Amino acid sequence: MGRLSHLSGRPPMPLTAIDLEAAERALRRQRRLAVRTALSLLIALAALLTAAAVIPGRLGWAVLFFAPYPVLLALAALHVRRAEQVEDDHDRDGP
Amino acid sequence: MLGLASIMLVLVSSVVIGVWGVRAARSTPDFLVASRSIVPGWNALAIAGEYVSAASVLGLAGLLVKNGVGAMWYAVGFTAGYVLVAALVAGPMRRSGAYTVPDFAEYRLGSPRIRRMCGLVVLVIMLLYLLPQFKAAGVVLELVSGIPYWIGVIGAGLVVSSTIAVGGMRSATYVQAFHYLVKLAFIAGPAIVLIVLAGSERREAALATTGPDPDWARPLLDLDGSGHSVLATVSVLTATTLGAMGLPHVVMRFHTVAGARAARRVAVSVIVLLSLFYLFPVVYGLLGRIAVPDPEETDVVPVLVPQAIAPGTVGAVLTALVAAGAFAAFLSTSSGLLLALAGGLSHDLFGGSLSKLRMGVLAGTALAVVLSLPAADVDINVLVGWAFAVAASTFCPLLTLGIWWRGLTATGATAGLLVGAASSTGAALASVILDLPPGTWSILLAQPALWTVPLAFAVMAAASRPSAVPDWAGEAVLRLHVPGRNQVSGESAVIYGGDESGRLPARGPASAGLRQAGR
Repeated sequence: MGRLSHLSGRPPMPLTAIDLEAAERALRRQRRLAVRTALSLLIALAALLTAAAVIPGRLGWAVLFFAPYPVLLALAALHVRRAEQVEDDHDRDGP
Repeated sequence: MLGLASIMLVLVSSVVIGVWGVRAARSTPDFLVASRSIVPGWNALAIAGEYVSAASVLGLAGLLVKNGVGAMWYAVGFTAGYVLVAALVAGPMRRSGAYTVPDFAEYRLGSPRIRRMCGLVVLVIMLLYLLPQFKAAGVVLELVSGIPYWIGVIGAGLVVSSTIAVGGMRSATYVQAFHYLVKLAFIAGPAIVLIVLAGSERREAALATTGPDPDWARPLLDLDGSGHSVLATVSVLTATTLGAMGLPHVVMRFHTVAGARAARRVAVSVIVLLSLFYLFPVVYGLLGRIAVPDPEETDVVPVLVPQAIAPGTVGAVLTALVAAGAFAAFLSTSSGLLLALAGGLSHDLFGGSLSKLRMGVLAGTALAVVLSLPAADVDINVLVGWAFAVAASTFCPLLTLGIWWRGLTATGATAGLLVGAASSTGAALASVILDLPPGTWSILLAQPALWTVPLAFAVMAAASRPSAVPDWAGEAVLRLHVPGRNQVSGESAVIYGGDESGRLPARGPASAGLRQAGR
């Protein structure tokens, strides 16, 4: 399976050029956002775990059975909205 | 007999839907990812359908009866994984244009060797995941019809491999979407009826949080009463949340949507569908504790509960529905897994063609069937938990670092994959062989993700020397994050029949081979 791009060790990429500076800005913003979402998830899970461990009786069960899902959904939905905003900004300002 | 009949009904409808979906599965891209023409709504249903496996339909309730209500942390982790999928993986993976994780690794790192390594890791994860599915099929068939376990397992293997070998992923998509609905209806419906039929006295008993075993009622997971339930819960959460990100068959699904935005949104829809489903295993677990407190085989608790609560015809009908739901879980998950396994076997390891891919499905099934015969006594969730732990310790760091950090090199990735795979599988094996007394060490071996994931991340980062970063790495990473609506190259648009989604295609040697094979 000899292919030219592999002779230079470069993986295949499309020939179209991209604006590297604008892309760099988009990457940085997306990365900040991703880190923020991952940390929020960590904090949310830690809080849920603490609540389940501390709250006695049926309320503690309810925390485990029901509470996590709306929290997870909100985190994901919020992330997606912000990520799309970053993309819209990119499309508007450059490439 | 009713149970067997309802299972047959699910099976026949799946085949009919599968055949209806076959129409266009002529090329390898068609076979693997349905040529990216699948509508987002169907895709979310299909991902949820494939993901809600026997571990969720049967294993969760069984584990709840056996170990305590903390078993539901598995469900939380299974769902939480999709927050990270939406945030870290879905969009960039879709833009990479790669079909599979090994494809992506080659795009990002430019090394065919790493593609083969990833292919091997895919095999390990998929097999660990497949075994419990076949076990589930075997025990459920045995319970409802008296068919011996091994015949049930072999029959299930024949059914699944033949439907996939004929249809590929296009047919799998519709079949799996259908299976999500079957699972939800056949698990949720009987659950609601059972809550009503149980009567107030048994409902009260099921919800009693005080009892002879206070550890059981504590909403934390413990392994065999080790006394370190917080540690065990955190480790299971780590494995399930991060593992979901690295599951090859899930990642592969995102290539069937129209673009990066749609891929992210699909991940969010999956959270909705999972949240809805995970409300119901609790019902079987709690009712199971009072109705079938000491089952011989914990993994069939949901199928046993209806008869115990409502003996007679009503119970028999409900049992049949739940059994059909469980079988749907087996069918959908195992077909998704087999497709990814076949991809790993043929496409990534042998650079294969469509006929090799079909052979891959058959070979994968045979392997899974043979291995699941001796696995009859292992809890479904234990095996699934290991599959997640291995995925979390290998593909999770590979994808996270590969997508977000341009410093990752092929050497670093290789070292990290080796260490992650060896430590997670090694720990799981050691926990079986050593059989340590319950305690901190037994948890760290049986649920190793807590230390194997950071280890794999650290090795990957440390073994990536800055001087070895090739000059194209920066662009390879940037392209994963550029919205690039206008950047579909003409060639790819022609090859894929005018995909307007803004995908930036990767062209690895194997995918080039695939396109030829597809003609």
